[in-house]
Amino acid sequence: MGSNTVIKRILKKTRVIILIIALVLSLFAIQFLIVGNTGVAIRTITKDSAAAVAGIASPRTTQPMAREVIVALNNQDIDTVEDYFTFTEDLKINQSISVKTVNRKFCFVVGCLVNDYNTYRLKVQPEYEIIVLNETESVEITEQVFNETLNQTLNITTTEIRNKTIKNVLGPEDIGFSVYPAPSNNLRKGLDLQGGTRVLLMLEENVDAEIMELILDNIKQRLNVYGLTDIVVREVKGFTGTGDQYILVEIAGVSSEEIRDLISKQGKFEAKIGEEVVFIGGKDITYVARAGDQAGLEYGSCGPVSEELYTCRFRFGISLTPEAAQRQADLTSVLPIVVENGQEYINESITLYLDDEFIDELRIGAELRGNAVTEIMISGSGSGVDEQSAANDAIVSMKKLQTVLTTGSLPVKINIVKTDTISPTLGEQFIKNIMLVGLLAIIGVSLVIFIRYRNLKVSIPVIITMLSEVFILLGFASLVGWNLDIAAIAGILIAVGTGVDDQIVITDETMKKAIGESHLNWKQRFKKALFIIIAAYSTTMVAMLPLYFAGAGLVKGFALTTMAGVTIGVLITRQAFAAILEELVKK
Amino acid sequence: MNRKERRQLLKEKQISNINIEQHKDSSNKKRGFFQRIYEDEYKKLIFIPFTILLVAIILIVMNIAQTGEFVNKGFSLSGGTAITVVADNINIDLIEEHLESNLPNQQISIRVLSEAGVARGFIIESDAQDNGEEIINELEKLSPGIKDSDNLSVTTMGSSLGDSFFRDAILAIVIAFIFMSIVVFIIFKQASPSLAVILCALSDIIVTIAAINIFGIKLSTAGIAALLMLIGYSVDTDILLSTRVIREKKGRVMTRIYNALKTGLTMNATTLVTVLVGIFISQSPELKQIFTILLIGLVIDIINTWIQNVGILRLYLERKNTPNNKKIIGAEKVGE
Repeated sequence: MGSNTVIKRILKKTRVIILIIALVLSLFAIQFLIVGNTGVAIRTITKDSAAAVAGIASPRTTQPMAREVIVALNNQDIDTVEDYFTFTEDLKINQSISVKTVNRKFCFVVGCLVNDYNTYRLKVQPEYEIIVLNETESVEITEQVFNETLNQTLNITTTEIRNKTIKNVLGPEDIGFSVYPAPSNNLRKGLDLQGGTRVLLMLEENVDAEIMELILDNIKQRLNVYGLTDIVVREVKGFTGTGDQYILVEIAGVSSEEIRDLISKQGKFEAKIGEEVVFIGGKDITYVARAGDQAGLEYGSCGPVSEELYTCRFRFGISLTPEAAQRQADLTSVLPIVVENGQEYINESITLYLDDEFIDELRIGAELRGNAVTEIMISGSGSGVDEQSAANDAIVSMKKLQTVLTTGSLPVKINIVKTDTISPTLGEQFIKNIMLVGLLAIIGVSLVIFIRYRNLKVSIPVIITMLSEVFILLGFASLVGWNLDIAAIAGILIAVGTGVDDQIVITDETMKKAIGESHLNWKQRFKKALFIIIAAYSTTMVAMLPLYFAGAGLVKGFALTTMAGVTIGVLITRQAFAAILEELVKK
Repeated sequence: MNRKERRQLLKEKQISNINIEQHKDSSNKKRGFFQRIYEDEYKKLIFIPFTILLVAIILIVMNIAQTGEFVNKGFSLSGGTAITVVADNINIDLIEEHLESNLPNQQISIRVLSEAGVARGFIIESDAQDNGEEIINELEKLSPGIKDSDNLSVTTMGSSLGDSFFRDAILAIVIAFIFMSIVVFIIFKQASPSLAVILCALSDIIVTIAAINIFGIKLSTAGIAALLMLIGYSVDTDILLSTRVIREKKGRVMTRIYNALKTGLTMNATTLVTVLVGIFISQSPELKQIFTILLIGLVIDIINTWIQNVGILRLYLERKNTPNNKKIIGAEKVGE
């Protein structure tokens, strides 16, 4: 019998056909490119940046291969992240850049079937340093308002008193892309492997599902306001004792202290006169000025406090609701006026608190007494070892405060219980290392199998099955969008290890002749092997199930991959292995 | 008992006596020393795993008496900080000395991360949750620029989360164990073989935990996962053994055991190879701990399955096949 006919017969087996279909589907899901991918994928677009102005949107999909990839800037090929940075290093203000991007669809082993090219034109914007002056100016603001009685749009011009600002051009602004090497497959690398920040927050008191939703939204919004979109924010639970509620926040690529600070703040902002609350963050505030407008460093406020401590002050404008403005008017109308440095003030100041911590004190000019003003300047300070770092600190504090004021406060206090900042270099090393471990493990297992059976007809199907299992499992992971982290990789190893064990059981059960079982046909012997396999499978499944629910989701990935892996094994690969073995060995 | 039944019984007895004779004939010639001990002295052999189990329990109790915990918890279970640094040229003594002299009041441990013996970086662990910044600042003094580089990973774990994770994990292990026991009972439907499997898995875990303590391993979240994996792996070989011995009727019990042993040891060998590769090559401390715990557990499982579980099964079969077992004295040695 020629080997061709054997292979033909194997390929006609239903169980083998199912395996092949599973492998093809996995290929579709992983979209595996052997030759790699060129260009840099867009992770996020900074708000109001040149890129955002040009109409490029932050990616909405989390599928790695479906993300927009920059392939050329000004017709200059961009192959790597280094290319991108070299190009963007010396840009000039008002320089025009054409950005060529591609959306790749259905990529397989060598190439992509559809390449959707797009070209954007963007202009490099200047970066400003904004200094807010104490002098005020009146600004005419023209708004288009739709008048219902006249049934037409009218231009209404109002005059507003504002603080004057100075704009100093610092240089060209970043064009607003956050990029990473274009992925060459759809496997989602977990934070362990790609680097980033992971924060686990615990709620101080338990809340119901609705409020939890609110909190999750708020945190997401804060991060979005900050310009981060490649994020995961979800609830996780432990199952013992207190039934604590946790929120997991994962931010790929970036790791920064301020972000951790930002999401863990309850964000309870209060402005008080004396003990009376005038207005609070969120509902009393209708508008918060952002960078580029009425927000920046206070003129001449930077300077040394002591030899090693400099401070800088920031200020930014907000608009209050009429109710809050009225409340302020009512409170100030009864207060006496004092004179300081030749200027008249109300004797009490507005004090600002964030999460019950004092931020700053605002003097109120005498002319505002009893006036329901809606425009208010909020101020605060930052410090550092020199003037530059003090200015930076002030700007960072301002951004945080602006974000918190925009998004409002969380209904409960939250605490950081676990933080991980993972270096991308370490992640890269881990991937290489794990691939080496996997390769050597497969070689080692193959050797053991060959030594035990001394028969290629057994060893080769074992190795093929082992590799198929890894591939189908990875395909499944890309399909359902799992993040592959260290725990998930351990799960894959376990699943494949169990798979090899089962194949040994199948081989030994079906090939043994010694115990006078020659009266059993192949099917009956496979059935006996299957009994052991199903029994072992059931115990593994029930052992992993509690782990899925335990420990604030820290080992969920591990439980999930193990369970999926052994299930795929029992349903698909082990069946196919038995079918192949039957054809090859049956006499 | 009527006459027909009596005759049947007598016939069976004769057959079994013949079997015993044949067995004795063939065995004494070919069997090696270890084989003879393994086949004939199984009742005495059972004492080995039981002694190990007893010693393990004593060691764990001593650990509880000394530390209040039955395992030594790593920073991911007790709370603390870990800083991982990727670096090629590492002078671990220098770093240790520097940290000790500059941060004298802190419990800091430092380990090299290596891949196949080549150092790739190092990891600093501390029990405190708030000294990450300080340690990094000290590292910055040793190697300027490291603070803002891409080579630094920092993890802090709150002790409350560590505690609740540990409670969860213990509960997960207990529930997994109960579920597993139920499944085993459903599979074998007989009390003794099922209990043998469960006892084997239980001793695996207990002895492994004792061994972890002896080797000074500090258990991490990944280690807990490894203990659960161990339940799965341990039960696999036991199910194989029990199925071959209890459910199959053909052939001698010893032959069936040897068949199971051959399959089981091949299974263990493939797992062992993977685990050894993992221990020597893998760089991630989490994976390394998983593999180390699996290696320990695997070795213990080999003893527990092929001595303890085999012994219990043979005792069980012996009792079951000789309802009035005092009458057939010769059968005791063979276990048929």
